[in-house]
Amino acid sequence: MLKKIFKYTLLIFILGGVVLAIYAWHLSARVEKRFSARRWSIPSTVYSDTTLLYPGQRLNPSLFNEKLANLGYNRVDHLPARKGEIRIGPGAMDIFLNDLKTPWNQREGVLVQIGFSENGIGTIRRMDSGETIPILELEPEEIMQFFGQERERRQLISIGQVPEHLIQAVMAAEDHRFFQHHGVDLRGIFRALITNLRHGSIRQGGSTLTQQLAKNYFLTPARTITRKFKEVMLSVIIELKYDKREILEIYLNEIYLGQKGSVAINGVGEAAYFYFGKPVKQLTLSEAAVIAGLIKAPNHYSPYRDITRCRSRRDEVLQAMHRWEWITEAALQAALKQPIKAVGFIASDTKAPYFIDYLTEQLNTLYRPEDLSSLGLSIYTTLDTQVQRAAETALANGLTRLENSNAALQREAPGEKLQGAILVMQPKTGHILALVGGRNYSVSQFNRITQARRQPGSAFKPIVYLSSLSQFTPTSLLSNDPKSYTVNGELWEPQNFEPVTEYTVSLKDALKKSYNLATVDLAMQTGLEHIVDMARRFHFSTPIKPYPSLALGAFEVIPIELARAYCVFAAEGVQPFPLSLKEVVDENDKILEHQYLNIERLITPAEAFVMNSMLQGVVKEGTARSLQWRGVSWPVAGKTGTTNDFRDAWFVGYTPDILALVWVGFDNGDPIKATGAAAALPIWADLMNAIPQYRSGTDFNMPEGVEKILICSVTGLRAVAGCPESSEVYFLAGHAPSEDCPLHDKGGFTGKIIKGVKGLINAN
Amino acid sequence: MPIKAIQIICLVLLAALLAGCPKPILKGEPSEAEVTTPSEAAVEVNPRAAASLQLTDQGRRLIEDRQPDKAIRLLEQAVSLHPTNGQNYYYLSEAWLMKGSAAQAKEFNQLAEIHLKEDSEWMIRVASQADRIAELEK
Repeated sequence: MLKKIFKYTLLIFILGGVVLAIYAWHLSARVEKRFSARRWSIPSTVYSDTTLLYPGQRLNPSLFNEKLANLGYNRVDHLPARKGEIRIGPGAMDIFLNDLKTPWNQREGVLVQIGFSENGIGTIRRMDSGETIPILELEPEEIMQFFGQERERRQLISIGQVPEHLIQAVMAAEDHRFFQHHGVDLRGIFRALITNLRHGSIRQGGSTLTQQLAKNYFLTPARTITRKFKEVMLSVIIELKYDKREILEIYLNEIYLGQKGSVAINGVGEAAYFYFGKPVKQLTLSEAAVIAGLIKAPNHYSPYRDITRCRSRRDEVLQAMHRWEWITEAALQAALKQPIKAVGFIASDTKAPYFIDYLTEQLNTLYRPEDLSSLGLSIYTTLDTQVQRAAETALANGLTRLENSNAALQREAPGEKLQGAILVMQPKTGHILALVGGRNYSVSQFNRITQARRQPGSAFKPIVYLSSLSQFTPTSLLSNDPKSYTVNGELWEPQNFEPVTEYTVSLKDALKKSYNLATVDLAMQTGLEHIVDMARRFHFSTPIKPYPSLALGAFEVIPIELARAYCVFAAEGVQPFPLSLKEVVDENDKILEHQYLNIERLITPAEAFVMNSMLQGVVKEGTARSLQWRGVSWPVAGKTGTTNDFRDAWFVGYTPDILALVWVGFDNGDPIKATGAAAALPIWADLMNAIPQYRSGTDFNMPEGVEKILICSVTGLRAVAGCPESSEVYFLAGHAPSEDCPLHDKGGFTGKIIKGVKGLINAN
Repeated sequence: MPIKAIQIICLVLLAALLAGCPKPILKGEPSEAEVTTPSEAAVEVNPRAAASLQLTDQGRRLIEDRQPDKAIRLLEQAVSLHPTNGQNYYYLSEAWLMKGSAAQAKEFNQLAEIHLKEDSEWMIRVASQADRIAELEK
């Protein structure tokens, strides 16, 4: 009988052993698979462009200070001693720069002084050597991250980067026998049991770091016997397969350490930045103890939640470290005296959301969404956050101003409110500096810069005038008389915006004053098909038909395509491809994607220059002249646009350095009861006044193939000395009028004297 | 009255008239501050131009080190700061030549030509670059 019992018991043990071995083998395979594959999903990060600073640069102090704050620089009262600190004094700023690391430039953080002059930066110099710095590049700003479902932030670190005192602090807080046990610490479990029995409640856990790792990686948080059994099995397997420092590295990267808004902070690498604004290797003993103390209950002990509780927990960790003789009494006392200075954070919404949407569309052609949320790519963009902020503010203020000035524009429903959009580009490079696709992204994600199709109105006229340059000159005379046209069997009678007495007008004046009748006359003489061809060359993708109303911008365009078209004038006849993405880099700094400035010549530099000169006339004396009393005193070219019944108001203005398009209107096409000059232009002016760093005051260079001729303002012919008013007009070479002004060149005493002088010269 | 005497009287009268006449109104005449060229004088008054030249020089050195990708990035920054400095376009063209793209090299070469036309030394280089581009296109 006894023999039988022994036999069955043995059999049960053998079978149990086999089952356990099979289960252990299964778990081992799971561990191996999980650890050998990618261990974490790292969200890809989108960065703005870098910021260049140089002596003589104009600044908007409030935007600049905001930029520094967004880059994580913290104000201190002493001379900055570590990266990310700023001291602002009278007339100068001492700044300990963060490291810069982009695919195109790298530098170590150094202490510099930026001296300010009346308008901006006076000097930049290194404070260690006194050496002056001619140009300084600030690191790019983080704009957003592509999170997966986990919504975790994590900066991976290797165990070699972790200071020994942080490892000891973590062990002191969680598992001081980590290097002695084999995954499960029986002594620790026993000690925790005694402590908990003594207090009658759960006061201490017996889980080792390896068990915590097994739990986080493979198991649910449920407290069941089965889960505990699995946890123990997994811990032993992990310990058998990996060495202690490897396990520690995975643990330190995995552990949850707090919350930034809706995003979890995981790993000591991310926590070091989140709480102390520095890389993990620079953490002090006190800071290391704070982070180690957080593991127990990150949000309870967070310095952002309760600094007293955080300090008490830190002190517990430091005492434990001292108890295990990992730090000296002196180090303990010094660390205990240290105040806890967390750097603070802004749990902000996504910046530049419409820009990000536009960028994401392009990224999705290169990467799957799941890759963007897991591969930890660094995505460098063209966005200038100072320009973006200035554009957002200018648009918000401008729309509010319009609503306040006209109650008929006010709407109750958020989705029906007056809308607007701004695109800011560098015309030579095609870089998109700012993109505001609407008034409020949370209300409407419809991107009015890249998705809307709106009639451009008079903002389309430059394409018509450009098309005519081979047949006409800026001084050619056009009929400004009312005429009727038949379109598809229907009568069409265009009108000027307001009645005018000029029945004949020069081409440049017709553009300057945005005369509709003269423009249609020009379009009909130029040939509508020719204008349609020009529009296609300029990459307008929407249907444009050869109807007379084409001349007045009756066919819808996509705003980004209109802005791109104007770039051609600002960029000497070449059109850049609009760029939002610059570079994509993987976790190992390998460049995966470059997007460079890409240009295509569409018209000659001479044609572009003649257009610029006429569009500068619009700003100097035409429909956009109000810019001058809005603080815009530097050379600007541009065009206003207003569509039928005031449904759309536009202004596109540019210099050789920067181009901005502003649109204002209702999504449903309700009239806004204001022209482009009244509604869109003030927003443009506000924007440009807010970004003085983009104002060089540079005028457009006159290329070869252009003639500058003094023209009589009355006759449009070459001015003579008797002409009462004349102006310099730019012509394509060989297109300028050859005749002198006959009106002021004949008769009268002066004319006779001039003839006499001519005779004298000829006689000699 | 002899014809010569009439002509002399005319000349004297003209001088007297011109001395009292106002200058014709010149619209669109650029002021000194608006005129810019990539000359040293322009760089002195334009901080953006001065900063841009630093980047141009760094870009040039990267091209010499045969790092066209990094050079393009720096030269793009240089163009952003000072779009009328033709040297940036010259070096951009060099970088694209190095990358084997004749089409882009040609576009930048043409821009360099526009902006460097008043600098005979640079124009020799621009012309030589155009020849190399044409060679690559074959």
